[in-house]
Amino acid sequence: MTSSTVQSTRPLQRLAIHSTSTCATQARTYGKCILATYTDVRKDACKDEFAKFGQCLRDAMKRKW
Amino acid sequence: MHFPRALYIARRLPLQTRCFASVSPNAVGPYQIFDRNAKISQKNRAVTKKDGQSSRTVDYVRDEVADRMMERLEDIKRKFATIVDLGSGSGHFTRLLDSETTKKSIMIDSSEKALYRDPCSEFEVQVERIHADEENLLRTLEPNSQEAIVSCLSLHWINDLPGILVQIKEALKPDGLFLGAMFGGETLFELRTSLQLAEIDREGGISPHVSPMTETQDVSNLLGRAGFTLLTVDVDEVKVAYPSMWELMEDLRDMGESNAILGRRHFIHRDTLAAASAIYKELHGNEDGTIPATFQVIFMIGWKPAPSQPKPLERGSGKTNLKEVL
Repeated sequence: MTSSTVQSTRPLQRLAIHSTSTCATQARTYGKCILATYTDVRKDACKDEFAKFGQCLRDAMKRKW
Repeated sequence: MHFPRALYIARRLPLQTRCFASVSPNAVGPYQIFDRNAKISQKNRAVTKKDGQSSRTVDYVRDEVADRMMERLEDIKRKFATIVDLGSGSGHFTRLLDSETTKKSIMIDSSEKALYRDPCSEFEVQVERIHADEENLLRTLEPNSQEAIVSCLSLHWINDLPGILVQIKEALKPDGLFLGAMFGGETLFELRTSLQLAEIDREGGISPHVSPMTETQDVSNLLGRAGFTLLTVDVDEVKVAYPSMWELMEDLRDMGESNAILGRRHFIHRDTLAAASAIYKELHGNEDGTIPATFQVIFMIGWKPAPSQPKPLERGSGKTNLKEVL
């Protein structure tokens, strides 16, 4: 079995992998941003950080949403 | 172009399909928080998945808590002809019972598949399985009929907790024992907070994902209110490390412990999920890159009152002056 066939086909599983390993850097930046503001978090408090994280996920998933 | 007025209104008001956790004016009885039917199907589904294999893999929390509950039962020097295991699931607690102290266990659970997951050969004691609703215990058991009732991690899905405790007390014989373990308010607080933060940041509001759970201080009050005496309540924690939030959620689903709150959203946006996973790791993550999940367990012991039990003496009946003793 080659490494490409190991990759899961279930979308949620793929999202899980991409959000924790492929896009780990962006995820960390976003998490740090929330951590800095979590006592006073509001909608789109970390919009820019999430935009990068989300873009990375969309690229990795090869899908748009 | 003119639409007929009725059609226009119908277009403006999309069909409401959400069910809210509120008391309808026609409802009789206690506040409904949990969707019991959804819970039963979640449990059945979890147990049948991969022929019970995935359900057995995630037995670790229940087995650990059953083990700690067993320690408490061993402290009670008594032999039982029958013990009722209320909300037994697949019998995690019954499996640990010893044939020297117990002859028979009656397992009661509302999920039929979970109840019959393991064959009788897995149990040392004789087992009887009753597929019945835990919330209406007195329909299954006669009042004043049982020596001991135990419940291992099932009471947190009961809508009417004060009511079930009263039913347990009624079903017990005088001087009968109730021993229970249930999840307390700190359980899965990491998951709860991460999802809340993610939902506020991404969507601008929060919705219920982790059940409301009973606080420790309330449990002794509830037991007292139900009429139990000689209460013992203590708290313990089981901490489990997971690679990420995704594995935690998968395991919770395989345990049959998915969200079953009335009025829950049946859908989480993938952005919110991804955000929650990132927040979980930054806010609560361990140094080695894993994430912790806390399961707080409240153990409770109560006895049905009987004349034979020790009681406090009447006020003012003391003969010795404490001043002289101390």
